[in-house]
Amino acid sequence: MQFVSLAFLLLLPVAALINFIIPRKFRYIWLLAISAAFYISIDLKASAVMAGTVVVTYFAALLIEKVSGGAEEKRTKGATALLVLAVVVEVAAMLIFRSGKIMGAIGISFYMLKSLGYIIDVYRGDEVAEHNFLKLALFVSFFPQVISGPIERAGNMLPQFSYPVTVDFDRMRDGFLQMLWGYFLKLVIADRIAIYVNSVFEAPDTISGTLVAIGTVLYSFEIYCDFAGYSAIAIGCARILGIDVMKNFDSPYMAKSIAEFWRRWHISLSTWLRDYVYIPLGGNRKGTVRKYLNVLIVFAVSGIWHGSALTFLVWGLLHGVYQIIGFVTMPLRDKVVEALKIDRSGLSHRTVKTIITFLLVNLAWIFFRAESLEKAFTVIKKSLEFTPWVFSDGSLFELGLTQGSMNIAVLGIILLIVMDILAFNGVEIRDKIIRQSIWYRWIIMIAGILAILIFGVWGAGYNAASFIYQQF
Amino acid sequence: MKIKLSSILKTVGFTCAALLCIYGATVVLRDKESEYKYADFFDRADQIDVLFIGSSHVINAINPAVLYGEYGYTSYNMGGHGSVMQATYWELIEALQYTTPKCVVVDTYLMNKDYQYLDQMYEDSDEEDRATSVAQLHLNMDCWPMDKIKVAAVEDLIADKEIRKQFYVPFHVYHNRWEELDSNDYKALTGTADRNPLFGAEMRYGIELTPGIYPDPEDENGLGGHTVGEEYLRKIIDECQRRNIDVMVTFLTCSASTEDKRVMDSAEMICEQYDVPFINMQEMGVVDLYTDLNDTGHMNAMGAIKATKCIGQELSEIDGITDHRGDVAYDYWQQRADEFYGTIYDMAVDSESIYQQLNYLSGAKTVSSIIYINDGSQAFGDNEMQRLLHNFTVTPKIYHTDGPYILINDVASGQFYEACDGEVLDGIKTSLGTVHYQPVEHLFRLFYTDEDPETNLLYDDSKSDYDIQIITYDAASGEILSHNYYKSYGSNYTQE
Repeated sequence: MQFVSLAFLLLLPVAALINFIIPRKFRYIWLLAISAAFYISIDLKASAVMAGTVVVTYFAALLIEKVSGGAEEKRTKGATALLVLAVVVEVAAMLIFRSGKIMGAIGISFYMLKSLGYIIDVYRGDEVAEHNFLKLALFVSFFPQVISGPIERAGNMLPQFSYPVTVDFDRMRDGFLQMLWGYFLKLVIADRIAIYVNSVFEAPDTISGTLVAIGTVLYSFEIYCDFAGYSAIAIGCARILGIDVMKNFDSPYMAKSIAEFWRRWHISLSTWLRDYVYIPLGGNRKGTVRKYLNVLIVFAVSGIWHGSALTFLVWGLLHGVYQIIGFVTMPLRDKVVEALKIDRSGLSHRTVKTIITFLLVNLAWIFFRAESLEKAFTVIKKSLEFTPWVFSDGSLFELGLTQGSMNIAVLGIILLIVMDILAFNGVEIRDKIIRQSIWYRWIIMIAGILAILIFGVWGAGYNAASFIYQQF
Repeated sequence: MKIKLSSILKTVGFTCAALLCIYGATVVLRDKESEYKYADFFDRADQIDVLFIGSSHVINAINPAVLYGEYGYTSYNMGGHGSVMQATYWELIEALQYTTPKCVVVDTYLMNKDYQYLDQMYEDSDEEDRATSVAQLHLNMDCWPMDKIKVAAVEDLIADKEIRKQFYVPFHVYHNRWEELDSNDYKALTGTADRNPLFGAEMRYGIELTPGIYPDPEDENGLGGHTVGEEYLRKIIDECQRRNIDVMVTFLTCSASTEDKRVMDSAEMICEQYDVPFINMQEMGVVDLYTDLNDTGHMNAMGAIKATKCIGQELSEIDGITDHRGDVAYDYWQQRADEFYGTIYDMAVDSESIYQQLNYLSGAKTVSSIIYINDGSQAFGDNEMQRLLHNFTVTPKIYHTDGPYILINDVASGQFYEACDGEVLDGIKTSLGTVHYQPVEHLFRLFYTDEDPETNLLYDDSKSDYDIQIITYDAASGEILSHNYYKSYGSNYTQE
């Protein structure tokens, strides 16, 4: 069962209804049952890996707590040894089962980071170990997050299982709207753009330069819509079930610097890497050179986490290098801005910074998407060839998207940009919609449903089932 | 936990409104081909006496409008494009839920196909063929509502569970039709979408100029008796006999391959086993391979008229099939028959090509014609042209002249008149008037009527370089309907 499946859409209301009517104190058991059913329906064999992870995480945390002897004295040698052992076991399991050489385990990169975060939190004394096995199992396997995150923290999730909130219609409506937006991003924009992008990255050397450049820009939107779409569905779905899940995207392409981009893109991973890799490495507390090195290490880890291919490492390191260049050139840039008397808060200056940041991110995405470094360089080289006649000679529509389909993609991206600009400026669209009168609300929601059903890339002839981040 | 009644009502209201809109979208977006074909079937199922089932050969060869026009028999053409016997079987089972005909006529083309699943076909079938096979099944299946028979049919015809979904929920495949919607798609919302005017048949109007002729098989063992196609023909006959419905098995004329001839042998053997009639039109000489095929596999409208008349003759021997002409309850059938003959009338008066026009003139009931070919025309070296003219006259004159040549086909009197070389026609009584024809010289000839001697119908100075003229006139009133000029270039003809 996938998020993009009829079975999921039919079963979710049933699951939500039962969740709605059963006593709150038993709700976590119901959520665990449906989470287990969800994961087993995707891959029965991988469930064994999941179960193993839950057992290791549960007992590792309990033992760490036990050998520490108290909340104030967690960092004993025994606790450290247990931590190292648990981390080694889980990281090794993640690398082995992610590669699929022995057996694949879908979502392992995500639920393993959740588990590791929880064990480290217990070791640090930031969290107490969860003694209820079922609650811990639910934390690791909670179905809206299990495939592609967000990578939640125990501190946010476990209390919600113990003290569930009242699920009311407002929450359900809000969750429903969020899911609707997620499906729109995924099915109408991401999967449509993917048809064009796949053609470009399959044989870039045979495609006209500007078409390749367009393909790279479209990929930036594809991966955003795909992943943010998944996250919105996951967050909305969890909300309907009475669980608040952390935000994973916050208008990332509105960022005015690479550092800001990473505060807005895949927030749950960025903060995880910050809290469990960057800060333990010393962060920015051990001098400038060490800070730069730490940044490179964090982004290298991020790259490797995304995949074992060299392209992912280059993608990660490129972001690290961007940041270091940003730090190094900051005084110079400040002087230029001062000399030219540029208004930093002016729209034009902010827009230029946003565009430059987008282009840098866009360049890095080429490595992320390409099958090999060689292909990535071919895409970059071809992108620099200027062939503007593709807009008028019809070749724009020869890469799998008809003119109508391309129009829908462009309109979808424009809508996405508008929504992001509004969100960036603090306008909460869902709140605005919910506060409208019933008729406007219904019209908007029904229009959304119809747009997804009609313009969505799904059904016969398409494979819209898998999300890009599902593979990591 | 308090649940507000208003919240429940709002949720129910929203769900209903959303479902209604989604239903509207499915109606607009669904492919209309199946609805178009079967709209009259559902509306007039209680009046249907004969069902024709089979492949596209049936769609193009059997015209229920003609059958009604000629015999007054009500029938429906259930043929499906690329419909193999198992698909045909399920088509019949679905149809029998709505109607109980007196006779089922099943065509055996494609009976040689020896695979069960349309999405798998043979091991070496390419993906495109498989995709086409699945796509063609939609014509047969989309119109039937979702029920246990449809589920059984789809499970029997399609192996892939994912592909089955597009038959259970057609929106699965049709939601992306938004780019090709036209006014007819929206008319479906009000139930006024176009419908097939020929009770499921489709007429084609081309002419296959070079049908292939293939050798007979070396033996008469047919297909061996165990192909999937043969198995389902038996099931069709069994089903009809179980329901006391007469069955007739056919092989409709086409440019039959050696494999097709094996099909005929097999069909004949099965029919003998079940004691049902087998009409092998291929051997009956009813349809002219050289003028009545649209392509090597399918008949054109003239071929369909001939084939349908032939089948009508066979049906007339079955008890219980009655002539409904004159019965006001069946006016709709007469109206559709008249409309079809109107189409043939129009094609005879003015067609896209000279071949087409001659073909439809030879079968037109109410259009008379005068065909003139000047001496030296390259039409005299064109075998197809000669064959089409020969269809009018059955005399060999057209084969033995270099022109000029004239043929008057006077439908009202049932007479034709021809002349060639220096021959004259004098005082011919036609509905146009009393006609006189006399060749004078290469670019000049006389053709006039006693009623209007001043008008030389076959001479126009401005069109002297056209070597062929066709004049059509109404068989009843004699009113001239069209005057077409053609120029011959080998076997190519350009119209004025």
